[in-house]
Amino acid sequence: MPFELPEITPWPWIDAYKPGIDMTLVRENLKLTPTERLEKLQRLVRGIDALHEAGKAHREAKRPASDSKD
Amino acid sequence: MEEFRKIIQTVSRGGIEGILIGGVAGALRGAHRPTRDVDLLYQRDEENYDRIVQAISPLSPYLRGAPPNLPFKFDTRTIAAGGNFTLTTSAGDLDLLATIAGGDYDSLLPHAEVMKLFGEEIKVLDLETLIRVKRAAGRPKDFEAIAELERIAEEHGSA
Repeated sequence: MPFELPEITPWPWIDAYKPGIDMTLVRENLKLTPTERLEKLQRLVRGIDALHEAGKAHREAKRPASDSKD
Repeated sequence: MEEFRKIIQTVSRGGIEGILIGGVAGALRGAHRPTRDVDLLYQRDEENYDRIVQAISPLSPYLRGAPPNLPFKFDTRTIAAGGNFTLTTSAGDLDLLATIAGGDYDSLLPHAEVMKLFGEEIKVLDLETLIRVKRAAGRPKDFEAIAELERIAEEHGSA
């Protein structure tokens, strides 16, 4: 099956996001080795998961006892 | 818990013919965008199916989001009969992809380069092609990620 890769031409839906991209974060990443970039990504994902868990625990602690009977 | 190291070592040491694409490939190019799954575009080849099964089975792969206890058997027959698999494993989420918008392993191999990660060599899609396959997919949820990759390309070339 033939595949086709689109050319990179101006696309307003994508270009609209570009001014909001924080390139300082990208530049910091590019100072790292590829392995360090993935280790950083791993820490970021773990941090997000920890926040989700903390939020979930907080909501469950606040839930009235009657909610947990069923 | 996601363990990119474990998955990458498993793929590399298992001799799996595949190319890293998606968010992890973007992160390797400098993108600052959280992603939790490893996307691997694999070669459709009987020998590669064997390597995939041998290497990935110890990670207890299962269909992500599927009800428990389905009769899912991760073997060469399943891989040959299927194509794209979104899996959960003991080392985190792994998407095994036979084809994506814009190509398959064989057509995109010329656009991959070998990177050394965690001491292992693995193929990663180059920045320009990563942008082009994401554009080919045309998913609105990717637009911001594409914009970031294009800014990286504009500022740094192939990172």
